[in-house]
Amino acid sequence: MTTTQQIPVAPETPPSRRRLTRVTRLATTPTVLMAAGAIAVLAILVIAPLLGLINTTLTADNREAWTDVFASRLSRNLLWSPLANSLMMGLATAVLSTVIGGFLAWVVVMTRIPGRGIIGLLATIPFALPSFALALAWESVFRNDLIGGSQGILANLGVPVPDWLAWGPVPIALTLTAHYFSLSFMLIAAALASVNGDLLEAAELTGASTLRTARQIALPVVAPAMVSGALLAFAEGVSNFVTPALLGLPVRYHTLSTRLYGSITTGDYARGYVLSLVLIVVAAMIMFASSRVTGSRRSFATITGKGGRARGVTLGPWAWPVALVSWVIVAATTILPGLVLVASSLTRRTNDFTSGLTLHYWIGDSDPAIAQGQRGVLVNPQIGEATWNTVLLGICVAVGAGILGLMISYVITRSQAPRWLKGTMSLLSFVPFLIPGIALGAAFIAQFGAPIGPFPSLYGTFAILVLAGVAATIPFAVRSATSALSQVSRDIEESAVMAGAGLGRRMRSIIAPLTARGLFTGAVLVFVQMVRDLSLVVLLVTPAMPVLAVMTYQYSSENFTQMANAVTVIIAAISVAATIIARRFEGQSQPWKNT
Amino acid sequence: MSPLNIRTYAAVALALPLSISLVACGGGTPTDGDSADATPTDANADLNELSHEELVARAEEEGTVTVYSFTSRIAAVEEAFEEQYPNIDLIGHDISSTEQITRLKAEADSGAETADVAYISDAPVVITELIDQGILHNYVPPRVEDVLPEEYRDPMLANRLSTKVLMYNEEAHPQGSPITNLWQLTDEEWNGRVVMVDPAVRGDYLDLMTEIVRQSDAMAQAYQDHYGSEIELDDDVENAGEQFIKNLYANGLVLVDDTDSVNQAVGAKGQDNPPVGFTSYSDRRDNEEEGWALQASLGTAPSPGITFPAYVSLVDGAAHPAAARLAIDFLMGDDSATGGPGYEPFYVPGDYPTRTDIEAPADAAPLDELAAWDIDPEATAEIRSDVADFLLTL
Repeated sequence: MTTTQQIPVAPETPPSRRRLTRVTRLATTPTVLMAAGAIAVLAILVIAPLLGLINTTLTADNREAWTDVFASRLSRNLLWSPLANSLMMGLATAVLSTVIGGFLAWVVVMTRIPGRGIIGLLATIPFALPSFALALAWESVFRNDLIGGSQGILANLGVPVPDWLAWGPVPIALTLTAHYFSLSFMLIAAALASVNGDLLEAAELTGASTLRTARQIALPVVAPAMVSGALLAFAEGVSNFVTPALLGLPVRYHTLSTRLYGSITTGDYARGYVLSLVLIVVAAMIMFASSRVTGSRRSFATITGKGGRARGVTLGPWAWPVALVSWVIVAATTILPGLVLVASSLTRRTNDFTSGLTLHYWIGDSDPAIAQGQRGVLVNPQIGEATWNTVLLGICVAVGAGILGLMISYVITRSQAPRWLKGTMSLLSFVPFLIPGIALGAAFIAQFGAPIGPFPSLYGTFAILVLAGVAATIPFAVRSATSALSQVSRDIEESAVMAGAGLGRRMRSIIAPLTARGLFTGAVLVFVQMVRDLSLVVLLVTPAMPVLAVMTYQYSSENFTQMANAVTVIIAAISVAATIIARRFEGQSQPWKNT
Repeated sequence: MSPLNIRTYAAVALALPLSISLVACGGGTPTDGDSADATPTDANADLNELSHEELVARAEEEGTVTVYSFTSRIAAVEEAFEEQYPNIDLIGHDISSTEQITRLKAEADSGAETADVAYISDAPVVITELIDQGILHNYVPPRVEDVLPEEYRDPMLANRLSTKVLMYNEEAHPQGSPITNLWQLTDEEWNGRVVMVDPAVRGDYLDLMTEIVRQSDAMAQAYQDHYGSEIELDDDVENAGEQFIKNLYANGLVLVDDTDSVNQAVGAKGQDNPPVGFTSYSDRRDNEEEGWALQASLGTAPSPGITFPAYVSLVDGAAHPAAARLAIDFLMGDDSATGGPGYEPFYVPGDYPTRTDIEAPADAAPLDELAAWDIDPEATAEIRSDVADFLLTL
């Protein structure tokens, strides 16, 4: 497929003129325009904040941050050992998430295990739960007497819990996995669901075993989704702060994210930014490595225009063990933390499950003796307003990031842009993950705080929240669009080009409908991420525009833990509701419901 | 070219130069441009001379005042303020000190609309960065000048002191604190039983560590009192304070990520052998609600910890300069013994009013009995990053 195919050239034009026409046409081809547009948006939303970050570390006062980090007596504890820990956590999260998410996706989409619909729903929820809920759930079971205070269930039953199981890398990796395997699950399930049933049937007819079918047909097809999921899980695992802080600090297990956060909160911004640049470079190298892996997978486009439902695989005697494992996974990662979260909002005393339960923090009136007279969250009008703002923000960002993500990923996977440009765009679309939210927020104030030409200052407006939100969630949107797009065969699009369909028409009639499920998955991810994100919005919101994540933060900074948890339950409920509604919309096209 | 293409083209043509200009302006670094040299204008200087009635009149003309506050108690202040001055709308933003610092700098750099008043802790950063860069200005209401010790009105006005002190479990130790000398914390008996928030992630705990280093002479004396011999320093430490911190870390010090975890670990009732830990004295007010038995370790030599100021300051370029001054005036409390409605949200045992004419709340040891070190923000700022670096090598 070359550009000439898209540009029918009049035969009677003289060669020189033809060449010129071709160049002009090429420059104005919608695809090129789209690429330019995508780059422009990336420039505003990603490059500019990134340059701000770099600039800050290069000013005269801050330059020494580089030597402090890389070549001083601090380097070992500030950079190298946290870096090693971060990489280990990122890698463990990526691998475990892919294995668990992939396994569940296979169970839900390809098998006929009883209750797989519910498993499929529950498996999407951990991502919607806040990190601390999962860490708290871990503590409520495994906490030992290292810190003091109350202990976990096991210790209370008299089972000694060793420190390595209660604190440090093992619980961190496992709780991060419990949190982020849903990313892999959603992406892989969407890809698997689009595997052509005819192919599987053909494999079965020729006598291939279940395992062989899975390995040789399904696996290659879902590879892009697996890589996307693994990359997201890696980035989340590396940048998550709460989990290593809760479970790692007591045994002094530091990651780059805890060092980075620490540098920023103790006023050493330059060092924090240097550390975040290190993260970005490391991630870039991992991106590069992974693009080599996916680069050879281009040919496995599965949506070729023909129908064909995925057929259920019968597992025989393996059905029950597989079902059991699946149920245990979703119960431990969704139901348990969910219960812990709800219960902790009901406890009379902070996270003390033996102190008795109360609904005061939900529906109580102002009582000066409790939480300085704060009203229960459901009777606090500010919470209602915050809920509305949060949902609206989530939707706006999901739509914005969704469209942008599709544009960027179309340019990356489909256009004839030079390789280096695509690589750069692909990397840039990953970077926002690794810029600490608070730094991104500050960069946006710097960028949009003052009026620019005819555009008024956006500071304190809803628009700046949406812009920052889109910037922060580009990674999700681009990754999910890429894995969705990679399954749409180029043949269909090329046929459309032959038939004279322009880019807009192709987008509307082919790309959008065929990738709808994947894009929807991405939009839900973005929505959920936005609804619970705190660090980004905390600098940008104003009291006139409260959002829920900021309310939880305010409550918890005042030690009104139950109220913070109650609001977190609301956030989780919104996220879960969004996930369920999204499923409804997908409705008909869910193979595991129809077979 | 189809109409669609023209539209696309137009959009891109519009977007490109915009994005380029954004890139050009966006990568800004905090520079000490105009704001550094900015001093209150003559008009503002005049405001400082106004009588209370004149100030109220001017403030009512302005109508609103925006306050950034590091505590959510600003909501209670808002209610009280609007009751006293019904024609002025106080808008309180609850923003942590760290975020206030980032936000105030970013707003000053971009010239965006900002707050009128900042109620902010994290004194070392405030003094060395925000005041020096001209982002915050000091305003001392004339009526409180005489009732404030100089350190609490210069270089910045403070309305109260908070604490980070050693606390113990009074249920397990009804006879009083088990710790009479800080060096006990480095002994085998307390191995793995001292808890605090990691000073590498929280500024106020870093201030505590910094103060211990600054008070090295007192720490050396306490060492001699405890062990009966003069302290001998390791090669990699420079003073008794650093030696103490090094020994403390080596003795299984448990670091956590927030003060509530410390309170819970130290204070939870029903423990046979509870740890001790550094936290806020005022958190003792939650004892009943949370089932804790937290008590401050009084009589610990050389000192149980630190007190540090909460600053009330004018933000440079305040849109409502008169109302800002009135709000600051209000936050300093009235002339009654408890400070009246403006100070009431902060009238908590374990926090200490800076005004000498407000009585410290009952149910907490008086400030001189607590004998905590009161940090010197400027001196702290000087060596704080060195102490942070030292901690990173442990």
